[in-house]
Amino acid sequence: MIFTEPIFFAFFAAVFAAYWLAPEGRVRLYILLAASAVFYGWWDWRFLGLIGFVIGVSWLAALRASPLEPGSRGRRAWLIFAITTNLGVLAVFKYFGFFSQSAAAALDAMGLQASWPVVNILLPVGISFYIFQAISYIVDTARGDLAPERRLSRVALYIAFFPQLVAGPIVRAASFFPQMDRAKRLSGGLIAAGARAFLIGFAYKAGIADNLAPLVDPVYGDALTPGDADLSAWSNMALIGATIAFAGQIYFDFAGYSLMAIGVARLFGYYIPKNFDYPYAALSIADFWRRWHMSLSFWLRDYLYIPLGGNRLGRVKTYRNLIATMVLGGLWHGAAWTFVAWGALHGGALALHRALFVGNGQRVGLIAALLFTQGFVLLSWAAFRAESFSDMLTVWHAFTLTREGGSGMLPIWVFAVPGLIALDAWLGGRAGKSPARLALLRRPIVYWCGLGALTAILLALYPLEAAPFVYFQF
Amino acid sequence: MHGLMIFWAVLALLAVHLLRPSAGTSRFGGLVAFLLGLVLTAGLVRVSADLAGIGRTTDFDRVVNHAVRVAGEDQAPLILFSGASFSRNAIDDERLTEALRAAGYPHRVINFSLEAASLPERAAHLDQFIQHARQPDIVFIEVAERFDDRPTQFFGNSKFSLRGIEQFDLRTSAFAALGLTEGGCSGLADCVQETGLLGAHLGLNLLNVGLIGQGERPENAGELSAWDAQHEPRVEVEQADRSRGLTAATISNPDYGPRWIASMRSMSASKLDARGTDVAYYFPPVIDPGARAYAAGLCAGELAGEVCIAPDAPDLLEQLDGPFWLDEEHLLEPGAAAYTDWLAAQLIESGLLEGGQP
Repeated sequence: MIFTEPIFFAFFAAVFAAYWLAPEGRVRLYILLAASAVFYGWWDWRFLGLIGFVIGVSWLAALRASPLEPGSRGRRAWLIFAITTNLGVLAVFKYFGFFSQSAAAALDAMGLQASWPVVNILLPVGISFYIFQAISYIVDTARGDLAPERRLSRVALYIAFFPQLVAGPIVRAASFFPQMDRAKRLSGGLIAAGARAFLIGFAYKAGIADNLAPLVDPVYGDALTPGDADLSAWSNMALIGATIAFAGQIYFDFAGYSLMAIGVARLFGYYIPKNFDYPYAALSIADFWRRWHMSLSFWLRDYLYIPLGGNRLGRVKTYRNLIATMVLGGLWHGAAWTFVAWGALHGGALALHRALFVGNGQRVGLIAALLFTQGFVLLSWAAFRAESFSDMLTVWHAFTLTREGGSGMLPIWVFAVPGLIALDAWLGGRAGKSPARLALLRRPIVYWCGLGALTAILLALYPLEAAPFVYFQF
Repeated sequence: MHGLMIFWAVLALLAVHLLRPSAGTSRFGGLVAFLLGLVLTAGLVRVSADLAGIGRTTDFDRVVNHAVRVAGEDQAPLILFSGASFSRNAIDDERLTEALRAAGYPHRVINFSLEAASLPERAAHLDQFIQHARQPDIVFIEVAERFDDRPTQFFGNSKFSLRGIEQFDLRTSAFAALGLTEGGCSGLADCVQETGLLGAHLGLNLLNVGLIGQGERPENAGELSAWDAQHEPRVEVEQADRSRGLTAATISNPDYGPRWIASMRSMSASKLDARGTDVAYYFPPVIDPGARAYAAGLCAGELAGEVCIAPDAPDLLEQLDGPFWLDEEHLLEPGAAAYTDWLAAQLIESGLLEGGQP
């Protein structure tokens, strides 16, 4: 069940009605929990046991590891146990095949024949997101920043809250738990805010991202079917066009999903922080990571980069920490060496940016900064989307326009995608800042008429065979 | 992807970013404004798609593209067989063309059939073919009891598909609704379900669902040959059942199809006739004697006076009493070969081809 499918709207309507008709308090919490179980079980009900296990371990470990709990003993052991268990779950379900195949390939390269059974483990949807959310809860309680929850049901809702369960944003417990206790009232303002976020997300995802997917997949291959791409057969312009289309697809897809998640959560009275802030307007790679997948960036900063020492241990170790954090961030996205390379590229770029521009007053012009940053981001998407290093190099070679051979062309309109991204960033930044100019648009009749027009446009753009969210595979 | 998608995506971005809710209108006023915006914009979307030649492309567009190419490569007088899956598995158009040419007739036969294709869907795509290729000399229209009795037969194959949404436009839906009122559904629950599905598909059609996002120019949709040779049975047909069904006498009395389909057949025939195309009717063989009898009844009743080839000849049915069946309604390739040869003889005997004789 994904947010753009008709079945989701039926599911949402039922949960929304039950939630707001129920009395305030525990009943509502149980309704959301039950809805989250149905939502997650829709993919594969067997994985409900897995997420239940993660919730149980996190709940128990937080109680035992918290310095705020009187008489708790073996706190450090509980912390290590819980983090190891959660990462172990992630390792088994997401990385086992990757590491076993990599090890076999390495031994093979050394002339040692390795033969062990190939185990294909089905990847549970959203596992990377809810494991990170669980770890942040355990660490925050162990640090004493947060009081541990005694009620299992509250921890369960925090980890499994269905709007953000399968692809984030990764929410912090410190911001989520107080919201469970806050009185909630269904109001016009709440509906308007939630519906608006959902609508923008729907336009991003169903209106734009899903219509870019048919441009990307024929060139790069189906992301879920490894080995089906032959990039060398395509012309330079087709490879450049597909990479541009992918840059648009992944942004509108993931930002769209995040906005829909924020909108759905808002409609139940919960606030989830934004996950994207027009990243393609970033003027440096550091700025990009403050705007792209913000909840993951901040998680990596708080639970990986800073514990590694952050920038407190001198220049060289700061660069090491940046690269290590981003390499692990790359690996978080997928069990493949291309993701590791993508993380390493960004880690290297962050280190280079820090070395050249931080603390020494060096600056470059606005246009140059934008072009350099976004050019790098665009090239790095080839590493992210390619199925192999040779494919990645083929795409980079295509960008030099010196590569020969290949045929096929994508529609010329693909080169309008940067225009769409720019328009989105311009409107998103401008609309909130100049309300006076938009007085006409704030007239109720114009608003409702515009909403009708928007509905008609989105229906026409709606792809009946909706593509799954790109980030579901992570 | 096409330029129109970018155009409407830009408008969508403008709307989502610039529209901000504010209080101050009545619910009625808001609803009227919403509907006005919806209807006007849906109309603009449709006009823009029509001007750009963009539509929801389906397998039938691919069948049309194949037929257009074949018709373009061979300028001989043209015969189209327009049917559903019965015909797709039964009429080997190359073989039929060769049989006619061996008998001295220059005609080119093209199978123009697709699974679950209703008469309105076939008629719409026939128009599309004529627009892109040329006027056929003869069109054979399949008459099948199943489609005549059930105007919403397509929903048995698929619901809410692009093809379903595309075909149930205002005209087709009006005919189908008329068919439902004339007994095209059985029982209250079935009628409610079929009416609901019909209404939903019409609504999605009128609201252009998927038209821009998945739309493209039909001529860019690729090709699909309608002739679909099958080699392995899908369902094992008991020998005794098969023999009983095929040897049972096809008892038929002059019959008339329900009013909605009869009037649609008549309209389609008049339109083709006015353009100089001869119209004839047929039904491929099936094991069920009742379904054969229906076609034979139409040939003797509603379609009397037209060339109408029902599969009720004992010599044909005797030939097919063997392992020639994909299932009880569709033929395997050897069965299709036998039927195609028999059909060639019927065609020649009908006198329809005389206009094309050298």
